[in-house]
Amino acid sequence: MNKLILAVSVSLTLVALSGCTNKSVVRYGDAAAVETNDINFGSTDLQTVAGQMTDSLLVSPVVGTLTANTRPIMFVESIKNKTSEHIDTESITDSISTKLLRSGKFRFVDMGRVEAARQQLEFQQNSGMVDTSKAMQFGKQVGAQYMLYGNLASIVKSNKDKSDVYYKFTLRLMDLESGLVEWADETEIRKTKEKEFVSW
Amino acid sequence: MSITKNTAFYLLLLVSILSISACKNMPPVTSGIGSEQIASGQKYNKHLQVHNDELSTQLHISDIKSRKTNDLLEINLGLTSTYKKSLQLQYQFQWFDQQGFAIEAGKSPWQPLELHGMQTIAVSDVAPTTQVATFSLYVRQVPEKFFKFN
Repeated sequence: MNKLILAVSVSLTLVALSGCTNKSVVRYGDAAAVETNDINFGSTDLQTVAGQMTDSLLVSPVVGTLTANTRPIMFVESIKNKTSEHIDTESITDSISTKLLRSGKFRFVDMGRVEAARQQLEFQQNSGMVDTSKAMQFGKQVGAQYMLYGNLASIVKSNKDKSDVYYKFTLRLMDLESGLVEWADETEIRKTKEKEFVSW
Repeated sequence: MSITKNTAFYLLLLVSILSISACKNMPPVTSGIGSEQIASGQKYNKHLQVHNDELSTQLHISDIKSRKTNDLLEINLGLTSTYKKSLQLQYQFQWFDQQGFAIEAGKSPWQPLELHGMQTIAVSDVAPTTQVATFSLYVRQVPEKFFKFN
């Protein structure tokens, strides 16, 4: 009887261990779910930062005044990554500019595609293949009135049992003509990681 | 080698716990409480959905307020904990237009939120576009860890 129980226990342990190590399953997850795989900057942080900043900008009284009768033209300067991690900050600015554009309150010029636009205009003007009366003209683009820029900073502290990371994201809106900062806001994220022996 | 019945029982219990916990490192998210689609000015109490009775005794949604700011629907609500320990929560807003069609469906992320014992906090969100007329909210719980050895 005892030997049987021992044998069952051992085999159950083996099943439990092997079941976890050998099995890999692929499935589609919820892109909007909270991701806590590790302490590094992740998808939930990106969504939080972009969402909070966009909300704050869109409901600010200053933006109410700016967008009263017009849709101001903005361009997004890069977000400076001052953290110790490698973070694709362009992804944050992409999310923010997309949300702002979709809100219908702002228009954007994309500085990342200036060269491609120039090449296309040169092709239309100079290649001889495009009807000159229908070719797009140089010098008709509209300049941005406002610049969106910011910083992402982090403070990381850890000991052997616990890690703590604090992110601070700052975003500012500058009037390019006057140089005045019309709007600014910051958002914070704290993440901690503790060692656990058994978790449920 | 002889094992007493008691030892064998505890051994089996330990193995069972290990076999269950070993694969479940991420705490699961439970069902929660929320509201059906409500329009600005409607009383949320009439549209409250409770899918988790245990959570509904620990967490209350205070009156949901809404207003139009810069043509966008802005929501503000209070989450009150009546539980003495911290609650690990996630909440999500969903947005709908006048005809009840989902706006930016699937793009509204779940937001993590830690509510300390007996704490009340204000949660706010802003509609992504000016077409939003109604919204719904859902709050769910990430259960506390079962075992913790430090």
